[in-house]
Amino acid sequence: MSRFVRNKRRSCKFSSDFAQPIDYKDLNLLKQYVSENGKLQPARVTGTVSYYQREITNAVKRARFLALMPYTDKHE
Amino acid sequence: MRHYEIVVMVHPDQSEQVPAMTERYKSFVEIDGGKVHRLEDWGRRQLAYPIAKLHKAHYVLMNVECTDKALAELENAFKFNDAVIRKMVIRTEAAVTGQSALFKNPEEENKKEYKARGERDAPAADEPVAEEVE
Repeated sequence: MSRFVRNKRRSCKFSSDFAQPIDYKDLNLLKQYVSENGKLQPARVTGTVSYYQREITNAVKRARFLALMPYTDKHE
Repeated sequence: MRHYEIVVMVHPDQSEQVPAMTERYKSFVEIDGGKVHRLEDWGRRQLAYPIAKLHKAHYVLMNVECTDKALAELENAFKFNDAVIRKMVIRTEAAVTGQSALFKNPEEENKKEYKARGERDAPAADEPVAEEVE
């Protein structure tokens, strides 16, 4: 059973009092919440609390609009 | 007066015009009693996907406090400036003055950034050496 990819799930990083605010310019942070092909990871995979998952979603979408992050890996 | 965060993407061929443009936009804001709290020139960056067949763009970030009249003037200026290929305006709660994450480490310093934050522990053998040199 332990072979399953279970250790991928982590506790919510933003629920700590010391967490920095989620910003669309912080690409290194956002990259941890998208898959390799650029899609957003579900909160159930990353363990993010729903409030912060919404913040992440907004941030990633803003970053995508400004071409800081890809929408997909199929861009030419 | 409200706080806004504005990002403007300028055509890479018009990069030389950027200082003049930012001065002009600054004057729009300040004439009406507003204030520019942060002004960052990220320079030319690789785009994650092509926009209008371009692969690079010159980014400028501004955090301003201005009246809605000044903002309308800015939006109008962006719209009729052909050098601006894309812009984004976000309303913010307060003035932001600290350096942004993108300005601190432009582009290819991702690995160092991970190390600095201590979020990803991928201790490649050569990396600590590289940091000590700095």
